[in-house]
Amino acid sequence: MSREPRLRRSRVLLSAFLALTLAIVPLPGIVDPLRPDFLVLVVLYWSIESPRAGGLALAFFSGLAIDVLKGMVLGEHALALTLTAAWATHLRLRLRVFSILQQALTILALLSLYQFVLFWVDGATGYPVTVWSRWLAPLVDALIWPAVVGVLSRLHER
Amino acid sequence: MVAFRSRDAAGRPSGLLLRSVLYALLALGLIVLDKRYDQLGRIRRVLSVVVYPLELAVTSPFEGWHWLSESVTTREVLRAENARLRAQLRDARFGLQRYAALEAENLRLRDLRNATAGVSARYLVGNIMDVDLDAFRERVLVDKGAGQGLYVGQAVLDAHGVFGQVDAVNAHTADVILISDATSEIPVMINRTGQRTIAVGTGDPGRLKLPYLPTTADVRTGDLLVTSGLGGVYPEGYPVGTVTAVRHDPTRSLADVDVRSAATIDSSRELLFIWATGPAHAPVAQPTPAPAAVRVPARAPAPARSTPRKPAPVASGRPQ
Repeated sequence: MSREPRLRRSRVLLSAFLALTLAIVPLPGIVDPLRPDFLVLVVLYWSIESPRAGGLALAFFSGLAIDVLKGMVLGEHALALTLTAAWATHLRLRLRVFSILQQALTILALLSLYQFVLFWVDGATGYPVTVWSRWLAPLVDALIWPAVVGVLSRLHER
Repeated sequence: MVAFRSRDAAGRPSGLLLRSVLYALLALGLIVLDKRYDQLGRIRRVLSVVVYPLELAVTSPFEGWHWLSESVTTREVLRAENARLRAQLRDARFGLQRYAALEAENLRLRDLRNATAGVSARYLVGNIMDVDLDAFRERVLVDKGAGQGLYVGQAVLDAHGVFGQVDAVNAHTADVILISDATSEIPVMINRTGQRTIAVGTGDPGRLKLPYLPTTADVRTGDLLVTSGLGGVYPEGYPVGTVTAVRHDPTRSLADVDVRSAATIDSSRELLFIWATGPAHAPVAQPTPAPAAVRVPARAPAPARSTPRKPAPVASGRPQ
């Protein structure tokens, strides 16, 4: 863990900005539904490893940022990220001692909750997206979770 | 339910439940305010300024690449392009020769019918930004926004036909929802017969369908669809697409008609935003307008629009 909270906070912000950027980089149409949602993974990582550096405020405001960037209903991703981050923070002490496989499975459950909240808000606000490929997102994200942990812990410990 | 009472490292309760409920309620409140009361345009505009550098950072390498590939093209390529453009201009001029006479005649005829011509004079050219919005919806981000006077519901064209309409206006950018989005509906007229119907997006780029035509309707492969001007969002007479397939299923009362959009939805980069002037269609012989299903853009009134827009007689644009 880094000693200085300010330094840590700047790293949290840096990783969140990177994730936001990766969320809007254009991809060819076929692979676009498979784009990993790095933002939710980054938020989950900081909720587990260092909830005081980012925490729910990070989840809420970065969710708001992605809503504005993607032109969604304001609050959609903010709500989904807040709930997911709260659950992850609640489970963090257990998650830290899990093996990476157990962790990835728990993350899969959290990501399914995240996707379900998005699905629900989409439907409730009149833009139902019922294509099956949206449910690939939790799987893809859970698969790359170990890689994200590897990169972020490198950044975290430096 | 499991006790959702988290403790910090020292074993004290951390107030996680309280804080998460507060944030979640805040987010829910935002959703309701944005969706139900449409009150957050100002907040969205302020927030969009905050995230604008991010969008610029993503789009500028692509812009740079376009610029670079344009500036290192050889003389031969430029010369060939010049020749091609010249030929195009000649053909367009040729097509325009009789246009002035026809337009005058059209105006006279419209005068006879007491109808107003819905010709829009003011337009603005914008570029699609290389920013990905959503894999599951047909939308793009453009580099013009509230500063240029765009408004929600404004019609957007590309060089070949109707492209979509403005869905949200930010400070420096705007979201455009394409006519092929699954939530988009556009009132059209079959140019050959004058039959009016509604073209609905499918969610596939460049594909629409006509789900409300009876099997007896006169529609053939290759028919051109133009905007009918009903609904007041899209001005009259712009090409929407051509019919690519007509299937008559005898067990059903409605025909199954596929349409390919005239706008080159996957390859165009330049868009035209147009300001409609006056009511887009003849007010004669219309039934009393139903309650408007189209949200008439009221937030940022267009400077060029002199007469207020009429309520829409048919549903078009975004279904709410």
